[in-house]
Amino acid sequence: MEHSSGVPVVDFDVFASHTLADNDAAWKQLRGCPVAWTPHNGGHWVLSGYEVVAQAFRDWETFSSARTDPEVSSITISGARLPLLVPEELDPPEWHGYRRVLAAMLSPQAAERLRPRARYWSRRCIDAVIETGRCELVSELIFPVPASVTLEWLGFPESDWPGFSHAFHDAAAYPHGSPEYKAAARATVEVLRRVTEEVAARWDDDRGDGLSTITHAEIDGARISQEMAERLVFMTIGGGVDTTSALASAALLHLHRHPGDRARLLTEPDLWDSATEEFLRVYPPARTHARTVTRDVEFAGCPMKAGDRVLLSELAAGRDPEAFPSADEFVIDRFPNRHLAFGAGIHRCPGSHLARVTFRELLGEVLERIPDYRIVDADVVEYPNWSMIGGWARLPAEFTPGRRSEAGAGEEPRRDSEENEEER
Amino acid sequence: MRVHVDVDKCTGHARCWSVAPEVYELDDLGYNVTPVKDVPSGLEELARKGALACPERAITIEE
Repeated sequence: MEHSSGVPVVDFDVFASHTLADNDAAWKQLRGCPVAWTPHNGGHWVLSGYEVVAQAFRDWETFSSARTDPEVSSITISGARLPLLVPEELDPPEWHGYRRVLAAMLSPQAAERLRPRARYWSRRCIDAVIETGRCELVSELIFPVPASVTLEWLGFPESDWPGFSHAFHDAAAYPHGSPEYKAAARATVEVLRRVTEEVAARWDDDRGDGLSTITHAEIDGARISQEMAERLVFMTIGGGVDTTSALASAALLHLHRHPGDRARLLTEPDLWDSATEEFLRVYPPARTHARTVTRDVEFAGCPMKAGDRVLLSELAAGRDPEAFPSADEFVIDRFPNRHLAFGAGIHRCPGSHLARVTFRELLGEVLERIPDYRIVDADVVEYPNWSMIGGWARLPAEFTPGRRSEAGAGEEPRRDSEENEEER
Repeated sequence: MRVHVDVDKCTGHARCWSVAPEVYELDDLGYNVTPVKDVPSGLEELARKGALACPERAITIEE
């Protein structure tokens, strides 16, 4: 089918598929058609080729992530009403000061300093189940570890962690208007209330944690406002609690189903870096992001109009055979691997470094301590929606029981703030 | 050999540094802000790998 102007029109509804396999297949059908128009979900452009996705991510002036409706998220196609995501839904010049704060807090060097905490939480979660020989990987390991690392570093008390994790996951995973989404919206209100409280508590009291760094940040020469501090905290939680989990779930399931890859990681630890990038390419936690066209423009031969919505697929970009040889295969030592799992351009995920550190510690601890884990395939439950953030709700597993680590769960948490104090 | 970094294209992926920390340096925000650098002898292959790893294609090699 063709648009009147010769533009390819596709029957593509990003919310139509409810399994990973169906969603992957839907994106695969768009191959050979890197830019297309779909009438679904209000009508929008669909970018699925590697080069066009990269180009649109980089060209923030044409493909803006700023909001056109202050109430409605610009970076999803769902029309969800969410708090403004700072700095993701800002463009320069406003974007710059807020991005600097996150970039400094989450630099590769800062992420390395959190590695011991990622190891601690991974070890502690495995200690809790290792003697039994069975566990539910998602709720007992995959979900708690990234959330604990992020929320401990920010300085939220442990009682907040479960509620926060669910609010963010459910808001991303269910369509606007569904009962799950409505429940998540209520949970999100509670998260916002807690964020407001904790930011207010630090306004005159620098406690040396991540919340304090944000609350006392300077933006373009002036102190950050309380409202923008809250938004920056909200963005950091949202970015940190559900995405790394989706990657870890995908990787543990992949290694269960591909024993050859598991055996190689166990015997050739030098493969971890390339394997991590390959997990990101094949199973990107954020599968799509939306943008808004700011001016009439011809892009890859297609006439786009100011105000048009555009859906960019990190997933399809990573599977583009023009960019990756054997694109449908998982190649554990693939190099180079310039996947777009973290996006590209100025809005590139600033949490990417911490995500890699947390992922590596979590997966490393699993393979070291329960290397023969086996997932009970019949009881695997996927998230019901793969439009933006995918993931798994249940991954029950069995393994040979082992012993708790000597310096495991009894070890007192060492707060990141102490380490930061030393750095200063 | 020299490496040229288009620092305006760098968005802080830090893949160059991850692959070749002996060649590429980052600032405190994790960005490569060194436009030109001589590659110490013996590290040429590593420098090439670091350039290839950049998702923004910000690095070119002058042999």
